[in-house]
Amino acid sequence: MSKMIKMENVCKSFGKLEVLKNINFEVTQGEVVCVIGPSGSGKTTLIRCLNHLERITSGQVFIDEELVDARVKGKDQLKVSHKKVSEICTRLGMVFQRFNLFPHLTVIQNVMQAPLLVKKTPKAEAEKYAMELLVKVGLEDKKDEYPSRLSGGQQQRVAIARALAMKPEIMLFDEPTSALDPELVGEVLEVMKALAKEGMTMIVVTHEMGFAKEVGSRVVFMDQGSIIEEGLPAEIFSAPQHERTKAFLNKIL
Amino acid sequence: MNEIDALIKIFPKLMQGSGITLLIAVVALLVGAILGLLLALGRLSKNWFIDKLCFVYIWLFRGTPLMLQLLFVYYILPKLFPTFTFDQMLSAYIAFSLNSAAYLAEIIRAAIQSIDKGQMEASKALGMSYAQAMRKIIIPQSYRRLIPPVGNEFIMLLKDTALVTAIALPDLMKITNGQVSATGSTFMFIPAAIIYLLMTTVFTFFFERLEKKYSVYE
Repeated sequence: MSKMIKMENVCKSFGKLEVLKNINFEVTQGEVVCVIGPSGSGKTTLIRCLNHLERITSGQVFIDEELVDARVKGKDQLKVSHKKVSEICTRLGMVFQRFNLFPHLTVIQNVMQAPLLVKKTPKAEAEKYAMELLVKVGLEDKKDEYPSRLSGGQQQRVAIARALAMKPEIMLFDEPTSALDPELVGEVLEVMKALAKEGMTMIVVTHEMGFAKEVGSRVVFMDQGSIIEEGLPAEIFSAPQHERTKAFLNKIL
Repeated sequence: MNEIDALIKIFPKLMQGSGITLLIAVVALLVGAILGLLLALGRLSKNWFIDKLCFVYIWLFRGTPLMLQLLFVYYILPKLFPTFTFDQMLSAYIAFSLNSAAYLAEIIRAAIQSIDKGQMEASKALGMSYAQAMRKIIIPQSYRRLIPPVGNEFIMLLKDTALVTAIALPDLMKITNGQVSATGSTFMFIPAAIIYLLMTTVFTFFFERLEKKYSVYE
């Protein structure tokens, strides 16, 4: 199986604050990696460094075994053009904690916009695929609504469809259920489960331990900018090796 | 009844004057909006030089009186550069457009910056370029927020056009003033005030409608 993602010695600082400390992290095709840990542990920053929403301070990032970012002390070691970043982003779908749907566009326009604009997909084709995706997330009847008319759970499902519309190889989820009312969490997790079953490679930053246990092929525990421990969900949840992992799991389970 | 007779006689001229007033305000708003958008994007640019250049433009045109700018374009510019000799109407278009661009630039910049930064992130994460995200996602969302301050700016412009009297353009104010001095009666100020009010009222409603139209998704 090919390495979809590899991060080597990645560090990230915001000013003096070190958010990621020497991260080494790999994701193989078809894996569902759940990243857990307390707030401020660097989980979100980790995935945001993959699609250049944040620039790493030092280290190397590979996607599909291709070097896409290499920096030392904030200086580029590799010239990455805007075009290249855009191309990387089309291969990585991202779902945000606060959905970030485009409020001025209807549901189906939200899903179609990027394929039309970035991939220059013909309109009929983009619309057809957008409809298929809306069926998949169970929102075909909402296609002409504006996002403000939808519940949080529905909005997040549209956001998942929007990301899938670019036919990404990997999906990044940044706490996709954290902004939802408890009764809406399930519908979003169902969509994500279905996606995992289809073999989508996923990195999921989450506080949903049930999801991590059931769907995750690997769990990564982060604390204070470092990966403390990783392994099969069963191992991490039943027999954590590290004190900090134990303390964290005790607190939340 | 002398006043009424005088009013009826002068009415076509008042209408012509109102036309000039409207024309200058509308041209200044449209040209100013395009220039203002470019200036706003310049102010948001990561390029230090472009940012500062636009800053200086705005600083200059907001920091000096519009009257002075108008006189500069009409009287002084041709003396410095004879190629830039414009008639009164064109001078008014230029001065009012350049001036409103500075104000509109700040309005547009504020509206763009008020859009949640998650919108740009989501656009970029989908592979859009900065320009694509601006054009299709960010700027369209700023329209609704732009309308109230732009409406305000337009109404100010409409009234400020009275300054063109200084370069002897026969706008509504100039015609009125002329009539007042000719007849010695200040009565003519009343119809002028009513015409100004009518114009601003129409545009107030127009901008309100526009705002409603762009609020459908909220």
